[in-house]
Amino acid sequence: MNDIVTIKGLKYGLQLTFAKGASFDDVQANLLDKLQSGSGFFIRGTTVFVPKGYFAEEQNEALRRMFHRHGMLFSTELKRPNLAPPSRDKAAPAPKPKAVDEAQKMMIINHTIRGGQEVKVNSSVLICGNVNPGAQIIAGGSIDIRGTCRGFVHAGAFGDKTACVVADRLMPAQIRIADIIARAPDEPEKVSQAERAMIRGNRIIFEPVAR
Amino acid sequence: MSQIIVITSGKGGVGKTTTTANIGVGLAMRGNKVALIDTDTGLRNLDLLLGLENRILYDLVDVTSGRVQYKKALVRHKKYENLYLLPTSQVKDKSAVNPDQLVKLCEEMKREFDFIIIDCPAGIEQGFKTAIAAADTAIVVTMPEISAVRDADKIIGELGRADKENIKLIVNRIRPQMVEKGDMLDMTDIDEILSVACIGQVPDDESVVVATNRGEPVITMNNSTAAQAYKNIVARLCGENVAFYKPPKEGFFARLKKLFGLL
Repeated sequence: MNDIVTIKGLKYGLQLTFAKGASFDDVQANLLDKLQSGSGFFIRGTTVFVPKGYFAEEQNEALRRMFHRHGMLFSTELKRPNLAPPSRDKAAPAPKPKAVDEAQKMMIINHTIRGGQEVKVNSSVLICGNVNPGAQIIAGGSIDIRGTCRGFVHAGAFGDKTACVVADRLMPAQIRIADIIARAPDEPEKVSQAERAMIRGNRIIFEPVAR
Repeated sequence: MSQIIVITSGKGGVGKTTTTANIGVGLAMRGNKVALIDTDTGLRNLDLLLGLENRILYDLVDVTSGRVQYKKALVRHKKYENLYLLPTSQVKDKSAVNPDQLVKLCEEMKREFDFIIIDCPAGIEQGFKTAIAAADTAIVVTMPEISAVRDADKIIGELGRADKENIKLIVNRIRPQMVEKGDMLDMTDIDEILSVACIGQVPDDESVVVATNRGEPVITMNNSTAAQAYKNIVARLCGENVAFYKPPKEGFFARLKKLFGLL
């Protein structure tokens, strides 16, 4: 009975292998037995690996839930999980990779920004509406405007030179990316296509984008 | 169901007071009971446009401070019996009335009137905040000129912040000839920036100046293009669907006649 499931310790988890011909139900019952017996193998926070494709997707899902209930992670990929394992000591939460988080976050604004209004965000921002003349958008990340941009925009305000500004019609009075500034031409030009502004070399360039 | 409408613009001199007077008279001509409240304390003008200055006994500050009942301060129009003006003080300043007082006053007046129209002062300071506090509809007046449009945009933003959702636009003092030549912003330019429902396009008309100086709103004059535009605005406010007036192209002879004072 015991050899339906074989457990092998790895550097960063437990590898499960199963006896030939054992059905999923048998495996599940066996694992549950082992979990409930309080075996020293199953420490909270360990990752359990099951060979990919051994079980059907919903069966994997059932196993995942079962392990989660016992405080363990489940994976079909034999590699270090990118999720930090749940901390065993609740008082000391795992440190967060802060810089990455902030840049990946995006704030969504669902209205037009009118003259005299100001949007300041640490993350990127998506504006579903226009940015009217006299409005200011300042973002730590990139700026995406689903509408016409006629105001003042500053992307990468903390110095991120990879930030960009995209708009359906990009005609800002002034545009800044990181520490580089560009202003609108004195003769207003017609813009008919969505464009993206970004830093190339030491200047801000506009290029058409499809969307 | 009575309506409280505030007429505002941000920029001064675009025709808020003229618009207030004309819409007020227009609504009264249709048989509505209308009250006009001037909130431009210290710089009151609405009474002049209506020719009612010499009939003022009490003012808005007297009412909000509880000195008299609002009915005592109301001035009935000499010609339109169901049009009333609640003038403001010419000696006090904007801080004399606060938003709560105006809200309370409008709540009380709502029972008596079909329309309450509030003439807002220029600017975005306390006077503006007081004027818009009670309104459920805002009419933003602008002119085809970038500074006026910019200020209107700001005002619309401020109205949005004050949770005024029902915002309408009137574009005043349009010069069709200049628009045609491309020397003046046209409606599409304005609409693109403001994107607010437009209920009126009023041409720049000399008869407005004449009417203002006479103390009779232009809407009462016949054969004035501005008067027709104001009548259309009033109709739209009453829920009618009126097409926008397109000024006829002035032909050579018409211009010649005008030149010789024949028209």
